[in-house]
Amino acid sequence: MQGHRPRLMTYALRHPRRFVRCIALAALLCVTVLGTGGVVRADMPSLDEGGAFDVRSAYLEPADQVYHLNATLDLALAKSAEQALKDGVPVLIQLDVQVVRQRRVFSDERIASVTQRWRLQYHALSERYLVINLNTNQQASYASLPAAITALSDVHMLPILDESRIQKGSRYDAAAKVTVLVEGGLPNALRAMMFWIDWKHVTEWYTWTVAL
Amino acid sequence: MDGGALTSAQDARDATARRPVAVTVLTILAVIASGASLILLAATAQDATRFSTLQSWLLVVNLLGVVVLIALIAHKLLALMRDWRQRVPGSRMKARAVLTFSGLALLPIMIVYTFSVNAINRGIDSWFDVNVGRGLEGALSLSRTALSLREREFAAHTKTIAGELRDRPDLGLVTDLDRLRRLADATELLVVGDHGHIIAASNDFSSASLPKPPSEDVLMEARTRGSYANLEPSPSGGLRVLTAAVISARVTGTSRVLVATYRVPEQMATLADAVQVAYEEYGVRGYERPYLKSSFTLTLTIVLLLSALGAVYGAFFWASRLVKPVQDLIAGTQAVGKGDLNLRLSLPSHDEMGLLFHSFNDMTKRLARARGDAERSRGAVEQERARLAVILARLSTGVISLEADFVLRTANPAASKILDVDLSTAVGRPLDALTDGAPLLEQFVTVCREHLSGGAAEWREQIRLKADTGRRELMVACTTLPASEGAQPGFIIVFDDITVQLRAQRDAAWGEVARRLAHEIKNPLTPIQLSAERMRRRLFELLPAKDAEILERGTHTIVQQVEAMKQMVNAFSEYARAPSMEVSSVDLNQIVTEVAELYRASSGPSGTSAAVKLTLDPELGQVEVDRNRIRQILNNLLTNACEALEGRSNGVVTVETHRSTFGEHPVLELVVTDNGTGFDPDIVSQVFDPYVTSKPKGTGLGLAIVKKIVDEHGGRIAADNVPEGGARIAILLPLDAGAREFLAASGRDGRKSDLRRERA
Repeated sequence: MQGHRPRLMTYALRHPRRFVRCIALAALLCVTVLGTGGVVRADMPSLDEGGAFDVRSAYLEPADQVYHLNATLDLALAKSAEQALKDGVPVLIQLDVQVVRQRRVFSDERIASVTQRWRLQYHALSERYLVINLNTNQQASYASLPAAITALSDVHMLPILDESRIQKGSRYDAAAKVTVLVEGGLPNALRAMMFWIDWKHVTEWYTWTVAL
Repeated sequence: MDGGALTSAQDARDATARRPVAVTVLTILAVIASGASLILLAATAQDATRFSTLQSWLLVVNLLGVVVLIALIAHKLLALMRDWRQRVPGSRMKARAVLTFSGLALLPIMIVYTFSVNAINRGIDSWFDVNVGRGLEGALSLSRTALSLREREFAAHTKTIAGELRDRPDLGLVTDLDRLRRLADATELLVVGDHGHIIAASNDFSSASLPKPPSEDVLMEARTRGSYANLEPSPSGGLRVLTAAVISARVTGTSRVLVATYRVPEQMATLADAVQVAYEEYGVRGYERPYLKSSFTLTLTIVLLLSALGAVYGAFFWASRLVKPVQDLIAGTQAVGKGDLNLRLSLPSHDEMGLLFHSFNDMTKRLARARGDAERSRGAVEQERARLAVILARLSTGVISLEADFVLRTANPAASKILDVDLSTAVGRPLDALTDGAPLLEQFVTVCREHLSGGAAEWREQIRLKADTGRRELMVACTTLPASEGAQPGFIIVFDDITVQLRAQRDAAWGEVARRLAHEIKNPLTPIQLSAERMRRRLFELLPAKDAEILERGTHTIVQQVEAMKQMVNAFSEYARAPSMEVSSVDLNQIVTEVAELYRASSGPSGTSAAVKLTLDPELGQVEVDRNRIRQILNNLLTNACEALEGRSNGVVTVETHRSTFGEHPVLELVVTDNGTGFDPDIVSQVFDPYVTSKPKGTGLGLAIVKKIVDEHGGRIAADNVPEGGARIAILLPLDAGAREFLAASGRDGRKSDLRRERA
């Protein structure tokens, strides 16, 4: 790109001293903000160590003119996350599924986008783990955490797409990802600003091509 | 008001007045932010339940204030660094003040911060007392124990119902279930088959949902252990106990399972739920503890950061306020140093600094007034000096002033003219160094030195200087100049060339003498001569020869001497006669030729044998002169020349006429030169004075008469010796009125040297 220097470079060349001042000021601000963050994060428990999350497999299966998702998820919580769960902190698990029709001329068309959310929490009185489907508000209890995780990992016949939206002969891409969120103790208003306090893990998109 | 420093000082004040509105707004925002955040923090501290709603605003406001303050401080810091590098007056003082103020403010803030963080952390830790946790766990265990008793009861009921349902036909099973459910006060009874499907169900319709088959692990545990009982939260709220028991069937051999759900009594459920909620919240709070501590620490950090930054900015502000008057004062003194005394500083306050400014303004006012007076005096002095210089330049009297060591301080043009040396370029040099090639100055200095070295501070004397063209008479007066303190006094010497005046006086005296001689002596001469001739005529023949010869010799001597006396008296008479010119237009060359012819034809009237050589300018033309007097001039000059050549065989008299210019005015130049012995150097300057002669027979009036006639024509005459030997007389006669005036003026100014140069 001859003759078109980036604006920043042009500004720096024209006003070198002013540019240096701006950089110094920005650096000062960064140090302040990061320093403040460092103070806050100093004794935070790490929820990442030992955790592993992924979409292991997924496919769409038609039944009663509706395509359902069957998927297997890896949901291995870290020890600290398990402890937080045991202390009563709920863990949110969200499964996002998208189906996109491939098009040659226009950009691809998203024909389905489903978000399924569960809440996993421990009930101390009954010493059972509850899995609550936040979409349907149905609840199931499990005697152990592995049993609850196993139940969550096996996604069985989740309705995704009506058959009427399918065009014969088209190719479709489907994608799924899992988000695991352990909400900290901060109020909602604060959570938006102090984003670094919440622990959140989002997997990569698991994609596959669907011949419908 | 035109002072540069005043302008700069005013600019600085204007710049302060023109401070960007944005900066002012930002400052106000920062102050409001600080105040608001402190109020908010106090509010949250008093009422912790409002913390969640207030803290976000608190953080927003604080962060905004921090960013604004950082920007303001950075701006101030960069400005201070720039001033430091450029060595702006007051910048170092300002930097020291900022450091001191900031240090004084930051130290207590840091101490308070450290203590506060510790207090917050310990305070929050104290919330999670070990006893509280243990108590909650105990309450939870107690609840579990109480509920497990109920579980066992419900499990026993279920087993009893399962026993009653043994070997019952499927027909009427639902009716039996309804009856048994009411008896057992269960919310739901399900009979589940071998494959987990529901064979019969009965519920109290309190739950809107359809009966759901129990999970595999419930059935498995029931079949394995014969029964199952567990407490779990109900999806519709509250607690329920899920129990299961195997229904043994001897007839069919199938293994059905009865699943019964019981509602925990409401009171118990409420209490247990309260314990559960408290325990859960305690656990969540425990999990949140580090976050909570961090939130408080963050808030405190930001607020104290805000306070610290505010203190630093305040340090800049107060340092500027403190240094500003000093900077104004420095700018003022610099302006005064550069000469701007019209500067007036505006009073910053009525304290000591105001008093200082007032004194400064008073000082500059007095200085300005004093300088004005001094300038006026200097102007007057300059004006007086210029006037004096003009007067001195126009004076014909020479004036020079000398230092005590004879160094020339001033000299007017007349002094240069009289002493025949250029003194205008010699100011600052000792007079002794200027005497080379200036004989007049040398003699002048010698006379002055004699007086001054003799200690005569004030003296007056007429001195005579010898020049190439004759004597120069000067009237010299000297007086002492007032000396400055500690210095030796100088001298001022005033001198006048009085040569012309003296000659005029002498001429007048000689004229008077000649007139009296002519009057007193000429009258008796004729009777004497006649008497002597009569005596000779009567007695010559009467006396004897010897006596007659004596008589003859005596009367001849008398007659001859009387004749000589007559000639002398006539000459005096001629010299003294009143000027009555008969000017006419004549051809001078012709007159010269006629007169020269007389001397050439008869070897001169005096019988000499000198050759007369004429070099006449043919362009001379007609000249307005008195013919007879010019003839007399030529006669006198040629007679003198021929007499000077008597006895010489190669005597030559040259007469030249030229038309030339003198000071750009047309003049006639007549030069008579001989190759005789020339003038005696001792009398060369006096040859035109009456009765000055080197000839044994001369009356001494020939050249005096020539000069008189030349003066009557308004001309100039000079005599000198030619280097090859011989005398030369040069005459300049004016050819028009301008030349006449110029020659007269130059004669008054004593421009003999000019004449000499012109002739050369």
